[in-house]
Amino acid sequence: MELQRQQILQTCEQSLSLSKPLSLQALAAIRSLVNNIPNTSDSTLSSILETLNRSLQVSAPDSLTSHHHTLKLLTDLSLRHHPRLSRLVFDSLSSGSLSLLSSGSARLSADCLAALVSISEQDPDLVFKVDGRLFVSLCFAPCVTVRLWLLRNAERFGVGTRLLFTVLLGFTKDPYPYVRRVALDGLSGLCKSGVFEDVDVIKGCYCRAVELLLDAEDCVRRATVRVIDYIRYTRNVIGNMSANGVKCLYQDAKRIIEQIGSFLDLVHCKCNQFDNWMWLQLLEATELNVDVWLTLCSMVRDMSMEVRVEAFDALGKIGLVSEDILLQTLSKKVLGVIKEKKSRSQCTEECFEISASAAAGAFLHGLEDEFYEVRKSACSSLRSFAVFSEKFAGEALNLLVDMVNDDSVAVRLQALETMHHMATCDCLKVQEKHMHMFLGTLVDSCDYMYPQDEADVFSVLFNIGRSHGKFAVRIIEEVAQEIEPDCNGKLGFDSASVAAFLVLAISIPLSCDQIIHCISPRIFSYAVTLLGRISRALSEFMNQDSLLAYLSQCSRLSSFSSTEFKGQDQSLHQVKSDNPDHSSTEISSAVKIPVQEIGDEASETQSWMCKLRELVTAEGRCHLEVDDEIIKSMNLVLIKVKNVWSLVQSGYTKEVLKILRFCKEEVLTFNTESLGSDGALAFTWQYLQVVKLLAKAWEHFMPRKKLSHIETGELELLLGKLERRLREIRCRFIGLSKEEELHVLELIILTCLMRLSKVEICCYLTTMKKLASTTSHIECLCKEVSIEPSKFVIEVRESLLEISTSSCGTSFSSFPFNQLLDSFFLKKLMLCRNIRHIRAKLDIPDNSSENPLPFVSGLPVAIPLDITLHNMSTENRLWLRITTSEESTRYVFLDPDLFGECSKVQKLSYTAPFYMTPNSFVFMHQILAIIYKVSGCYGLLRTYTKSPSICKIQAPRTKNVFDDSSS
Amino acid sequence: MAIECLVLGAGQEIGKSCVVVTINGKRIMFDCGMHMGYQDRRRYPDFSLISKTRDFDNALDCIIITHFHLDHVGALPYFTEVCGYRGPIYMTYPTKALAPLMLEDYRKVMVDQRGEEEQFTSAHIAECMKKVIAVDLKQSVQVDKDLQIRAYYAGHVLGAAMFYAKVGDSAMVYTGDYNMTPDRHLGAAQIDRLQLDLLITESTYAGTIRDSKYAREREFLKAVHKCVAGGGKVLIPTFALGRAQELCILLDDYWERMKLKVPIYFSAGLTIQANMYYKMLISWTSQKVKETYATHNAFDFKNVRNFDRSLIDAPSPCVLFATPGMISGGFSLEVFKRWAPDEMNLVTLPGYCVAGTIGHKLMSGKPTKIDLDKDTQIDVRCQIHQLSFSPHTDAKGIMDLVKFLSPKHVILVHGEKPKMATLKQRIQSELGIQCYDPANKDSVCVPSTHFVKAGASNAFIRSCLNPNFKFSKSSLEDKSDSGSQGMKSMPWLQISDDRVGEGILVLEKNKKTKVVHQDELLHMLGEQKHEIQFAYCCPVHIEKLEQTETTDLIPTNDKLSASDKSSVIKKLLVKLSSELSEANIHDFGEHIQLESFHVSICLKDNCPYRITDSLQSKSEAAFFCCSWSEADEKLARRIISIMENCNLT
Repeated sequence: MELQRQQILQTCEQSLSLSKPLSLQALAAIRSLVNNIPNTSDSTLSSILETLNRSLQVSAPDSLTSHHHTLKLLTDLSLRHHPRLSRLVFDSLSSGSLSLLSSGSARLSADCLAALVSISEQDPDLVFKVDGRLFVSLCFAPCVTVRLWLLRNAERFGVGTRLLFTVLLGFTKDPYPYVRRVALDGLSGLCKSGVFEDVDVIKGCYCRAVELLLDAEDCVRRATVRVIDYIRYTRNVIGNMSANGVKCLYQDAKRIIEQIGSFLDLVHCKCNQFDNWMWLQLLEATELNVDVWLTLCSMVRDMSMEVRVEAFDALGKIGLVSEDILLQTLSKKVLGVIKEKKSRSQCTEECFEISASAAAGAFLHGLEDEFYEVRKSACSSLRSFAVFSEKFAGEALNLLVDMVNDDSVAVRLQALETMHHMATCDCLKVQEKHMHMFLGTLVDSCDYMYPQDEADVFSVLFNIGRSHGKFAVRIIEEVAQEIEPDCNGKLGFDSASVAAFLVLAISIPLSCDQIIHCISPRIFSYAVTLLGRISRALSEFMNQDSLLAYLSQCSRLSSFSSTEFKGQDQSLHQVKSDNPDHSSTEISSAVKIPVQEIGDEASETQSWMCKLRELVTAEGRCHLEVDDEIIKSMNLVLIKVKNVWSLVQSGYTKEVLKILRFCKEEVLTFNTESLGSDGALAFTWQYLQVVKLLAKAWEHFMPRKKLSHIETGELELLLGKLERRLREIRCRFIGLSKEEELHVLELIILTCLMRLSKVEICCYLTTMKKLASTTSHIECLCKEVSIEPSKFVIEVRESLLEISTSSCGTSFSSFPFNQLLDSFFLKKLMLCRNIRHIRAKLDIPDNSSENPLPFVSGLPVAIPLDITLHNMSTENRLWLRITTSEESTRYVFLDPDLFGECSKVQKLSYTAPFYMTPNSFVFMHQILAIIYKVSGCYGLLRTYTKSPSICKIQAPRTKNVFDDSSS
Repeated sequence: MAIECLVLGAGQEIGKSCVVVTINGKRIMFDCGMHMGYQDRRRYPDFSLISKTRDFDNALDCIIITHFHLDHVGALPYFTEVCGYRGPIYMTYPTKALAPLMLEDYRKVMVDQRGEEEQFTSAHIAECMKKVIAVDLKQSVQVDKDLQIRAYYAGHVLGAAMFYAKVGDSAMVYTGDYNMTPDRHLGAAQIDRLQLDLLITESTYAGTIRDSKYAREREFLKAVHKCVAGGGKVLIPTFALGRAQELCILLDDYWERMKLKVPIYFSAGLTIQANMYYKMLISWTSQKVKETYATHNAFDFKNVRNFDRSLIDAPSPCVLFATPGMISGGFSLEVFKRWAPDEMNLVTLPGYCVAGTIGHKLMSGKPTKIDLDKDTQIDVRCQIHQLSFSPHTDAKGIMDLVKFLSPKHVILVHGEKPKMATLKQRIQSELGIQCYDPANKDSVCVPSTHFVKAGASNAFIRSCLNPNFKFSKSSLEDKSDSGSQGMKSMPWLQISDDRVGEGILVLEKNKKTKVVHQDELLHMLGEQKHEIQFAYCCPVHIEKLEQTETTDLIPTNDKLSASDKSSVIKKLLVKLSSELSEANIHDFGEHIQLESFHVSICLKDNCPYRITDSLQSKSEAAFFCCSWSEADEKLARRIISIMENCNLT
């Protein structure tokens, strides 16, 4: 190996001594030496380096190729293999560069430049800057490849931008098209980096570009279109005349004028004047925009596809042009307005030649184009203009609806996206003729070919229905037959078109109050069957649960309202109750919204719709999503709880308690902060407690269980706790759905039954009274939401009747209450989103045993409190109970005005007076916040407190303070 | 040299396209069509105009056929087999494949049905086709040493092409029929930006601007769907090739989308065969069809089947494509007779129907009865829908193409006279291109480009290789002279790259032309370089105060001391510098130099450059001798005017 190395070096030496450059073979040998032998010693490397360097010094007529390869080898050597050599190579090259760079051959100089630049880029320590003179001289050399390479890599050389600009601009005249293209690309790059501040320079550049639009080469025209776009951008930035800025200015001004207009009648005409004036200003400012716009429009008929795509892309970026010209782009016929308008160009005569007729039908052509790339680009640039002009948006939509039927997925998606954008900007005005296109073609196409479009389609349809309710009603009336089951009773829900109609139909109630009744309630029920599919598409508007709630509510509302549907509706309910497994039964029982009487229904509907509309607005959206996460996981926990009930019944109490503990831990994994704040979390927590107590209590009713194992009074204790917990659930949570309430009521019945089953602990009369009232309450609720009470409740009701009629108050103990227990089964509980937890938190700032509040015994003391209230409503009253260590209790009533209207979280600072300070140096007392609820339905005053917040008030131990205060 | 363009057919009319172009001595016949409206001699172009002796082989260098429509190819077998032309014929591959089908079909109709005298036989058609040389798109074909032709995609029908022909330095394009917007099965015309002397373009729709094609499609589909939904039958009389396929793709697509089960029929025969060709010639179809070709051949119609005669009276709804398009006879007439009396049925008509056909009658008003012949009368109760699909470009498309190609001259053919005249006006006024619309048998001459070959010296070539661009700002004079708004909008920055323009054309002794670099010229001619120098002795007024001091001095000018001289010069310098703030003035003590403008004090009494009848008396003025070269003429005039009008203090 060593021998080999020496041989190679020797040959090199020989050839160099004859002042011949290294042969290609020798170079190849060196390359293989460097490449293939990983641990080539440093000495070898340096000798190789030296050889190569010497080779470069040799100038022979045939040395060009050799030098080229030598330089290549040097570069590779320093870059890839031995980065530590880079400095050596760099130094030798740059010192010897004088000869190489200034050598007669431009190609060699360029090779040397390339080597130097790439080495210096690799190593941040090496700085290499190409002299402007050298750069220009090389560019001006006759060698075209070198010129091309230099221009393409101009940015790497750190040539001054002014010089570079001049050179690039000059070479746009080069006879070689690729040089022209590279020069134009270079100009684009310069424009993009925004180095110009001279308007004249830009104008010159622009004029040159306009000339080049007529270039014979596709690639040059394409590059030119890009340059023009960048020039426009640069110009706008420089002039601080960004079209958008001007537009904002315009809108601001207009708004102000309009505001004045509401005070002054006569301003109206002035407003118009101002309008015109403003537009004029706007046009002046965007003069270049208009020019560029027309220039680009003339390019959309280019024969090269790439040029067309580029032109549309560029068009899309121009912020603002006048409505006239915009409209012109949608009509191939030259509109009258445009004919008169002359483009006020500041550039060469070529610019004048580009008349407004160039714009004629530009977008039309784009949308009709053969290449999907062009169609897509045209679709996407349409979106930027829809906002500016309502008329344009309308006409553009005419064209866009055809595009949703395009063969290419990309185009279809883009068209939908554009429409969606228009919808979000509130400029999607759908007309009837569009609708057929929509429904007839688009929806069907996603049926068998492009299911990925479905969500988009649905969302657009939903939007349409929401904003054009009456129209959508007409459509639905027309297609109602298609939605209804066919003669065989089969529903065509597999078909995407039916699904789409359903989406359209369910969006209608959100548009206008009156028309909800036009839609058959069945349609909403049908939509429920496609819940998953629809909710995925509408995720942007509402989640699945609210959609479900909405659908079932709608189906109920519309059925109550129109008498003609009433009969059908009842039969529908019958069907539901006949078939309890049917999904719609679950749904209607899952969501219950108070509907009182038919007479009162109209107002109810309205408020409901208002709520729904609020729901669909964007503000609510993000908040809902956060909540949803919690609710989903809580529901998962609740399902587990439901599943353990069979274990409870089988007597595996220990296991059950273990599982429940896990569940509690799971609940706790959610932020402890949010445990308090979030209703669902708190509810689940409480519910878990209840189930735990239930499980423990149930143990006492197991036949196998021997009572001796159980401490006496334990059951009573458990039942007492259970009752308290259940009461808490009923009172501390608001916004419980009817189902949740029913669930809790059933548990109360169960507790009562347990109590009644054990003669030793029951207080028969009270418990019976409670049982009866709870049962009737359940019945009441069931009627309200028109569902069947559970088997357990029915049995309890029957037994109650039996007791009241037959035995008539005689031996109650004989009644086998514990038999009733067997029919109880813990149902699945699903939380709805509305659950809220009422609570209050007290804090006494800056108060600790080290830092007590000073007081004068016998005199009142003010206790500063920070009170945080959650979900308080106007019907709640707040009291403070202050208990001192001496068992004296004081109540302080807080004026409801203090915490005002209901809101989620309120914080207030309050100074609670405590009048009876004890006669001691130090005393401690406890403050409790008590929330009373004034409930209209029951006329009961229920008190509820939240986690007693204990605080200590310590009097100063020092006499000084005492003296001071007494004196 | 000129390009001579003899219009044998389709001049100010539609039908029998045939243009003979003589370009730098080469004669090409573009298209050789027949007129479908005539039964007599007028159906063919008047070939005798090409050559009185009927020696067509020598008179023509080649024939180029753009596409297979009969009005472009119909007369070809007649011309080759009956008139005896034996030269080369060029057409694209699909045209070569489909043209004999069309010709044969026409021959059958002509001879078998109408019983006309046979103009050419099947054998003639076959023989004729043997002479055809097929070309590919963008393939440059060297017809002979000088004549080069190239085909470009034209849309219109399968295989339609525009042809580029170049002889020497003259080049032209003949478009044939073309379409600038793509349709369901064919793409838009596509051509390079060429340097052209002449463009001959069709102008069928010279006066029409069509809007979105989607609306047209929608309308058609709606009409058809409504009819079949109501249980009616739809008759679509159409030409076998082209529209039939487009409508078929449209319907098949729609049927798929709407899941319609109603059958679509093709009347057997030519159309089926044509479909087969379409399936094979995918590369000539639109981008859309090509893109989906891998998964689905657009011409594999899922819902289309062959029609059986027994189905004519079947009660169920259906859609039927039948030839010929204008219901002038054949199968479409047969079906029309049966279906027309039922108001549930629908007949769609093509956009254009020749007068005399039933199609034409249906289009003009809505007749309730049509007399077929003396004995037969058809009750027409069915609905009529007129198709607005057309494979021809509209006026905007023509303008777009002309604008894109920017030829020096345009000739319009294949159109209706009044509309052509309007379009001609538009081309001339909007695009500034000379335009002609000759009638049949007219001949148009346009100048052709002819380059003189010249040698070039090495120095010149080297100077060409090196970039030599210059930038110029709009000069000061321009602004101050005119001051008008128009001048203000001159470009700020102009670039010129004169690397080619620097040469000088010389005619050498051996009569050969050669371009040399300007530096070489003197050497070549063995001459000295001469420069023109202007001179003027300019009087400058000097203030009184100054004069008192210099009164004695002036008569004794020669005594004027060097310091005095320089002080006067200094004053002038100050004056000039203030007037010409941006100019680069050099002061050399004795004289001032500004570019080539040289000024010094003139001490001679009778300076030859002094204009003696100057109004100013000698005593009041000092004289400055100025000289300058021609290049700085403007500058010099300006300086002199400053000097003459100034007062040196």
